[in-house]
Amino acid sequence: MLSRNGGFSRLALSALAIGLLMGCSSGGDKAATGSPSGTTTTSSDPKPAGGGTRPQPTAPVVTASGDSIKVGIVASLSGDNKPWGDDSYEGAKLAVKEINDKGGIQGKKIELIVQDDASTAQGAKTAADKLLSQGVLTIIGEVSSSCTIQIANSAFEKNVPVVAIGATKTDLTDIGANVFRVCYSDAFQGPVMAKFAYEELGLRNVALMTDNKQAYSQGLSASFKTSFESLGGKIVDEQKYDTGQTQFGGQLTELKSKNPDGIFMSGYFTEVGPIAQQARAAGINAKFLGGDGWDSEKLLDSGGTAIVGGFFCNHYNNKESRPIVKEFLTKWGKAHNGQAPTTTMGALGYDAAALALDAISRAAKLDSGAIIKALDSTTNFHGVSGDITLQGQNGTPLKQALVVEVRPRSEGFQVFRKAYSPDQVK
Amino acid sequence: MKFLATRVLSILAAIGFSFLVQKLAEGQDSFTQQLLVLASLYVTLSVSLNLINGITGQFSIGHAAFYQVGAYAAAYCGTAFYPNWHGSPVVWLLLMLVVGGIVAAIAGFIVGLPSLRLKGDYLAVVTMGFGEIVRIVVQNQKVLGESGGLSVHPHLQQIWVVVLLAILCIALCRNLQITAHGLPFLAVREDEVASAAMGVNVTKTKVIAFVLGSGFAGAAGAAYALQLGAINPDLFRMDQSFIILTMVVLGGTGSVTGSVLAALLLFYIPEKMRDLSDVRLSVLVSILISVGFAVAAVRYVINNVHKPIKVRAAYYAGITAVTAVVITILGKILQLVPAFQTSVEGGKLRLVVFAGVLIVLMLIRPEGIFAHHEFSWDWLLSPLKKKRTKLPGVSA
Amino acid sequence: MLDLAPHLLAGLEISTLPQQLVTGLLIGTIYALVALGYTMVYGVLKLINFAHGEVFMLGAYAALLISWSLGYTPGNSLEHGSWMALILMLIGAMIVCALIGMIIERLAYRPMRNQARIASLITAIGVSLFLQYGGQIFLLNGTPQNIDPKVSPFYSSDPTVGNIQLTIKGPNKELLAKADQMSSLVDKAKTDYEAELKLEGGDEFNLQPKGKELRDLYRKEQRDLESAKNDANKGAILVNLPKGQVFMLGSVLIIMVGLTWLVMFTRQGRAMRAVSLDFDSASLMGINVNAVVTFTFALGSSLAGAGAMMAATFQSGTKIDTFFGVLPGVKAFVAAVLGGIGNIPGAVLGGILMGLAENLVVWAGYGGYKDAIAFVILIAILLFKPGGLLGSAKVEKV
Repeated sequence: MLSRNGGFSRLALSALAIGLLMGCSSGGDKAATGSPSGTTTTSSDPKPAGGGTRPQPTAPVVTASGDSIKVGIVASLSGDNKPWGDDSYEGAKLAVKEINDKGGIQGKKIELIVQDDASTAQGAKTAADKLLSQGVLTIIGEVSSSCTIQIANSAFEKNVPVVAIGATKTDLTDIGANVFRVCYSDAFQGPVMAKFAYEELGLRNVALMTDNKQAYSQGLSASFKTSFESLGGKIVDEQKYDTGQTQFGGQLTELKSKNPDGIFMSGYFTEVGPIAQQARAAGINAKFLGGDGWDSEKLLDSGGTAIVGGFFCNHYNNKESRPIVKEFLTKWGKAHNGQAPTTTMGALGYDAAALALDAISRAAKLDSGAIIKALDSTTNFHGVSGDITLQGQNGTPLKQALVVEVRPRSEGFQVFRKAYSPDQVK
Repeated sequence: MKFLATRVLSILAAIGFSFLVQKLAEGQDSFTQQLLVLASLYVTLSVSLNLINGITGQFSIGHAAFYQVGAYAAAYCGTAFYPNWHGSPVVWLLLMLVVGGIVAAIAGFIVGLPSLRLKGDYLAVVTMGFGEIVRIVVQNQKVLGESGGLSVHPHLQQIWVVVLLAILCIALCRNLQITAHGLPFLAVREDEVASAAMGVNVTKTKVIAFVLGSGFAGAAGAAYALQLGAINPDLFRMDQSFIILTMVVLGGTGSVTGSVLAALLLFYIPEKMRDLSDVRLSVLVSILISVGFAVAAVRYVINNVHKPIKVRAAYYAGITAVTAVVITILGKILQLVPAFQTSVEGGKLRLVVFAGVLIVLMLIRPEGIFAHHEFSWDWLLSPLKKKRTKLPGVSA
Repeated sequence: MLDLAPHLLAGLEISTLPQQLVTGLLIGTIYALVALGYTMVYGVLKLINFAHGEVFMLGAYAALLISWSLGYTPGNSLEHGSWMALILMLIGAMIVCALIGMIIERLAYRPMRNQARIASLITAIGVSLFLQYGGQIFLLNGTPQNIDPKVSPFYSSDPTVGNIQLTIKGPNKELLAKADQMSSLVDKAKTDYEAELKLEGGDEFNLQPKGKELRDLYRKEQRDLESAKNDANKGAILVNLPKGQVFMLGSVLIIMVGLTWLVMFTRQGRAMRAVSLDFDSASLMGINVNAVVTFTFALGSSLAGAGAMMAATFQSGTKIDTFFGVLPGVKAFVAAVLGGIGNIPGAVLGGILMGLAENLVVWAGYGGYKDAIAFVILIAILLFKPGGLLGSAKVEKV
């Protein structure tokens, strides 16, 4: 189509050379979008979330137009994270419906636009760009950190706030002052479990089971390891597996020979269940511990009796007596044939959307910049997963974490054992 | 003189075109820009894979590995050296394209070597395995951020760079096809033994194809990393390789034009599906059934009706019309069944439709959209001329 | 720079090796079953059936739904397993997979038979993606599920009942006796702690300092006991065989004997071998080639169904979702190539080697590279023996 008779190599070389020259001359003004992304990712030492100042977005703000307020949500409606994505979207829908039934905000209805990211970071980037091009004032999502990084970067360039749902990666909110979340970070969750294991269970030799395919799991294991060792405990072994693995005999045989009195399984419930069963079958008697990735009643199906008596860290508990939890469960049940959400992401999705809508109603003007300010000044927002304060927290709320014990369905799946407030784990 | 002038003109045209695209895109929203970048990257990837698979006739299905190698090379260099870089970010981007390209080319050389011993499916398996090994090794490296990946500095999107890269890749492959430089590649594809007998250095040719193809994939990877700002191993899974391979085969193995068009098409369909609102299950099922029968009908016409193209075109139009009617009626009927009354979010259908289009296209045109042909103006002009003029040069 | 050898200095634990080999053998049998499907289809059609992993996935779903319909539903499952349920699930999964395999062949592969092989490969990829993502809409909404392990009559939450324990070399008796003496210490610490717990109100998560002290002492005694037992077991060679997986191994052996008989000693098998040897000549000899291909697909797919049912049932709690077949599919495919694709004993050998290799990698301390080892071995084999271990190395030059 181009030169029909040129030597290709010379064509290639000269084009590159010219490109370089032009790049030099025009580089300065077109240096474009350079947004600060999070620092290099695997910091094994968990630093307090949002230490220091976060970069401020500088792009012009997005203003509401038309007679509705557009709010976007990026969710994993397909792919590996579908169970969490579905729940988070359903939760957000509930929150939006509630506001719309009350007549919307300033007489305007809320329009919730959903984009699927197929559980991939690339999908999240295109989904976020699509939402931004549709003029959303706020983006809710995502459940996973790698997806949220992309959403946060895109939204930073457009000065639009992001309210992440379940992204617990510690330095996530350092991306920019537009990034918020409704969950705690791994830098909190890991130490909570370490403290609980060391002080309340009296464990000293703990082994780690890490899902090598999940950044969440790798981060949580690392943060647990650091705090458990600093308390004086010993990590006797770390075994790795990949999401989707079904036979854990190999790793468990090795763990057994190291004789741990506790096993910290930082992955998701879909793998934790079979690991627990296979561990008991292999004759391992250690206590099982884990993070919020365990939270689904399905854990009792896949983990059987083996997982009962395990402890994990959770955002909230379906059985809590706070009225807002009951209210939420009633509302959810109405929309879903009387069932409760299968994962915590239902409640967190609801909280993220409700928090965003609350900020929109508090914002001085209906534009994205004012909403960022309103979000940043949130104090004591009553969420299903607990009270959320974002003021002065650089995007990660001060929230308590609950340690719950896994019990059979007849006792209500998870039974509250101990609550940790942020200042208890410093 | 004319020779030189044409060449300079084409280079200028390519660069001019890239900047034109950049200028046009600047007025657009970020979604459109993102699509443009990804489309250009996929064009580069599919055309560079076509160089290995189509033009040289090797069977590589692990192209995402080279893409990943390039991306991680750029990301790692950015973390390690960019803080001390005092030049313009754009120059850094171009430098990273070269670095990513070279690192991936070395990887391509390593994979190209076994290709001397292996053919066909076996080579395919080795390249696939290589892809997985790269992903798993990266996933286990602390310095490469394990499965959390790396943040890339600088985070930089330059549309003209990726467009130019795509053009460069297209130009290289096109020129290979029509110049003496490319003859060994085509010869190796057609018959290895015969070409060896004619004095072609088969080994060298294959390795060059691998090195060039993977080099371009690596450069694309570097550009991808910089424009995305953060990368992780999940972006380069095996299905990514499959998608690139599909683009090549769907476009027509060996046809550069086909690769370009198929890349754009396969990329465009799922993205377009984003705008789809909820779809009723009844409609979905009726589409599934009707399209199945329509494909069967089209295949029947292709295989059994030997009439002029105009008559066949009328048949196809008829089938399309009937299918549309059947979908509507069937959808209405199924709507009466309670089980089919639920609806599905359009977003969830993206990859299903992608797979469906793939199967349907392969069933009705297995040789690919363009088969071995290339785009030429003659085709457009042919109705105006009485006789088709044959193109000079070697045709693919 | 590469973190390739974090554990090299830690030394290798010889005592766990036998257990690892046994586990590897058991998982290898599943790979072998799936690999047979790849190998037979390749043998007959020279087609890499990339959708085979998805047939495996659908087999697991079939077994799941059958187990539900028999009353083993999540939440209120029957308490006791039954042979009947196992057999129904196995046969059901095999039949469903056979049908699906036949449908895929008829609709997606047969029309492509005269086209370039790469075209059928792309169609296979399309079918595979279609089933994975379409399944997320049509199959239980794509939510991960699992078969209740209680469906198996061998299942027990008590490891001493659920396992066959083999003692190849007993533990050090002297050390064991010493450890046994320690158990009285543990009991004493336990009584002390429990008494204090009662005194403090029974909330074991909010203990007073004294309670904590006693509990920590109790835990310490427990740890000491366990580590003493561990020391006693250091030189011992003990192997745990989950009964369900022994049953699985037995079934796989029976299936393989049946398959060998079918392929070697029946008319249909002879036809298959003929088609595999030379497609065109076979059709000239009056063999109904289409029937043979359909039969091959049905047979291969039903083996995948059997493998899926066993993988999902006997590896307690295994997650079933629409991507269930991806990993086993790829590994089994590699196993087939490893053994020599198109070669039936080769597939079995390849599958078992694959299972062993994976567990040896974990044993050596490189668990993170478990999925990579398959490909490393594969590349090594192909470079030095391109036809696979048992395959005839055909040099494809004129």
